[in-house]
Amino acid sequence: MAKAPPITNRIRDLREQHGSMSQSALAEAIGVTRQTIIAIELGKYSPSLESAFRIARVFDLGVEDVFGWEA
Amino acid sequence: MPFREKTAWAMALILIGGAAFYLYMIISASRALGQTAPPIVGFVIAYVVVIVIASVILMAALAATSPREANAPADEREKIIGDKAGNWAGYVMVVPALGGLWHYAVNMDGNMLFHLVFLSLMLGQIADYVFQVVLYRRGV
Repeated sequence: MAKAPPITNRIRDLREQHGSMSQSALAEAIGVTRQTIIAIELGKYSPSLESAFRIARVFDLGVEDVFGWEA
Repeated sequence: MPFREKTAWAMALILIGGAAFYLYMIISASRALGQTAPPIVGFVIAYVVVIVIASVILMAALAATSPREANAPADEREKIIGDKAGNWAGYVMVVPALGGLWHYAVNMDGNMLFHLVFLSLMLGQIADYVFQVVLYRRGV
């Protein structure tokens, strides 16, 4: 498996906190496929800056509240 | 499995089958002749037409099973996968083409040059789809 990028995220937790939002609903909200959301959640893909901002806006948070850098 | 991964699998299998058939035909003909078989333009055209028709039928069948995904444009991750796979496939394509040029320079065998260049085109396409499958599975 490819080395995971050192970017962490709380997307799964945030979806749960937002009325168990589905991966499909989040994918549709930011304009990507459900598989891309799955890949982001699993740390297999680092989203573009634009998608990171879009995801953060869905949850009414800042980018750094959703994504972190694994030290 | 995402729609684009399914199509990559389908195209890879069609092209591998087509390449195997082409190689079998050329090797059989070459053995019968006792030398490298010359390119048969009619066979090459028929081969390309059959591959195109098979691809269209399979793509249409896959699109019918997931019309929404089939109509959606590729997202950022899928575009990166397509770009990376295409880039790596370019390196694969070069190998038989260079082999063909070297073989021609040494043996002056134009028939083999034709087959190796055609093989390089087929391998390049196969590698493109295989790399796509790999990248969909292991991550970008």
